[in-house]
Amino acid sequence: MNWVGFRTLTMREITRFFAVYRQTVIPGLITSGLYIIIFGLTLQRRITAIDGVSYTVYILPGLIMMNVITNAYNNTASSILQMKLLQQMQDMLITPMSNVELSLSFIIGGAVRGFINGILVLLLGISLVGMPVEHPLMVILFLLIVSWAFSSAGLILGILAESWDNIATMVNFFITPLIFLGGVFYSINMLPEFWRSLSLANPIYYVINGLRYAVLNVGDTPFLVSFSAALVMTILFTAIGVGLFHRGYRLKN
Amino acid sequence: MPAAIEITDLHKSYDNTVALRGIDLTIKPGEFYGLLGPNGAGKTTTIGIITGLVKLESGSVSVFGKDIISDYRFTRSKIGVSPQEFTSDWFFSIEKLLIFQAGYYGIPKKAAVPRVEEVMKKFGLYEKRDDKIRFLSGGMKRRFMIAKSLVNDPDILILDEPTAGVDVELRRMLWDYLKELHGKGKTILLTTHYIEEAEKLCERVSIINDGKIVTEGAPEELVRSLGKGSIEVHLTGWQKSHADQWGDITFAYESGDGDSDGKLVFSVDDPGKELPHIVGLVSRNGCHIHEVKIAKSSLEDVFVSLTGRGINE
Repeated sequence: MNWVGFRTLTMREITRFFAVYRQTVIPGLITSGLYIIIFGLTLQRRITAIDGVSYTVYILPGLIMMNVITNAYNNTASSILQMKLLQQMQDMLITPMSNVELSLSFIIGGAVRGFINGILVLLLGISLVGMPVEHPLMVILFLLIVSWAFSSAGLILGILAESWDNIATMVNFFITPLIFLGGVFYSINMLPEFWRSLSLANPIYYVINGLRYAVLNVGDTPFLVSFSAALVMTILFTAIGVGLFHRGYRLKN
Repeated sequence: MPAAIEITDLHKSYDNTVALRGIDLTIKPGEFYGLLGPNGAGKTTTIGIITGLVKLESGSVSVFGKDIISDYRFTRSKIGVSPQEFTSDWFFSIEKLLIFQAGYYGIPKKAAVPRVEEVMKKFGLYEKRDDKIRFLSGGMKRRFMIAKSLVNDPDILILDEPTAGVDVELRRMLWDYLKELHGKGKTILLTTHYIEEAEKLCERVSIINDGKIVTEGAPEELVRSLGKGSIEVHLTGWQKSHADQWGDITFAYESGDGDSDGKLVFSVDDPGKELPHIVGLVSRNGCHIHEVKIAKSSLEDVFVSLTGRGINE
């Protein structure tokens, strides 16, 4: 194991997004703050509490997850694509680092960004609307797992992508719709039967509900189910991402 | 001691094109070796395989006796590479990038900092240490690329077209530096378009064309084996019968403007060495010599005669 190399690339990945925190940390806080203020001031008066929780607080775990997922995914996908486009990837591939070390460093970089963004929105919720945190350890564990899972998804897409357009397409056509349909803003119990069953096929639904349970102690599915779903995604995405990297798919000739 | 780089029967194809058709190459430790060939000959592919960037199809490569696939950590840690294409980075200063580079090769930051400083000073990059690559000039970018290949203090340095697009001053500086490194016992593998560069620096060269090595040897040896140096003697008073006693010397006579004016062109292996003998032969026959010209063949001629085209075509 090349520990020094592994640590160096991991730190590079983390310092990379901190260097551009205006693009990588602040926007999530601003949009989440806007959601909280706007929904808090307007919609909350018209929407009755869901599962005994005020509407603004109810959507907060979903907002946290939205930030975790998009940041984790974006970090890894864009770092990999950028390295490919700037000829840096070939420099990485000839170092005495194993493919597993390289791909895990990239995953950790994205996972840290996802996690930090999640924690920041969580703190924003606590300070702005006094959101309770019912199971703090569960929250941290869950945020870590989901950050890792979607950072791995970003690794897969970064490897497959050949242009920025490919990455944007994935976000616009798959990830964002899945997040919005995953119950960020509603409980699926509010949906007609057909849409409710369809939601159960959306992996992001479990992730949002898992966190909602950990934070608020309410949710549409048992925590164990959400947790297992997140774990399956983590294992699956990591295996595919590391596997593709190891094969050198679209990275090596 | 095992070879620094040993390549055996290397084959590689991309989709429908065959890039390498069985390359065999042995580079001894401490040798300055050149790989010459036109674009698309297989130079970069060969380097890519040695460094692990390109997957080999069949054959094998070992570095200091260890296989590049099963022992990749060892082999890659021995090599520093300066690729042909510039790398860029949007986030970090060149100093940070060099420290990272050392880290990837297992050198902790503490040890990397002085090493990076030394390399930056050597290449005139120290003043620019806080700049990002994209703000450097072309020449500075090339210096950075070569500096980067040296931060891990490699035993083998692989340079892919290091002087492409570089001004004369920097080229001279690089040449001097490479000679210095070679003097310290580093093995250097260089690919180049500049024949002059290979002639000046390399102890041995291979000419690679269409995925095969067409010849190999010391540059002087290759030139000599081609044997097409010539001596031109411009003279008056030449008669064909003068050559009766000359034996198997190859020459041709071309008559000039005047009746008795003309030139003799001798084809010899080593013009410098043959000159006194040739001049002696001609003057002994009572001819009047006006001028003597020597044309030595170069590695370029060797290249053209073996590949049927110029290196820059």
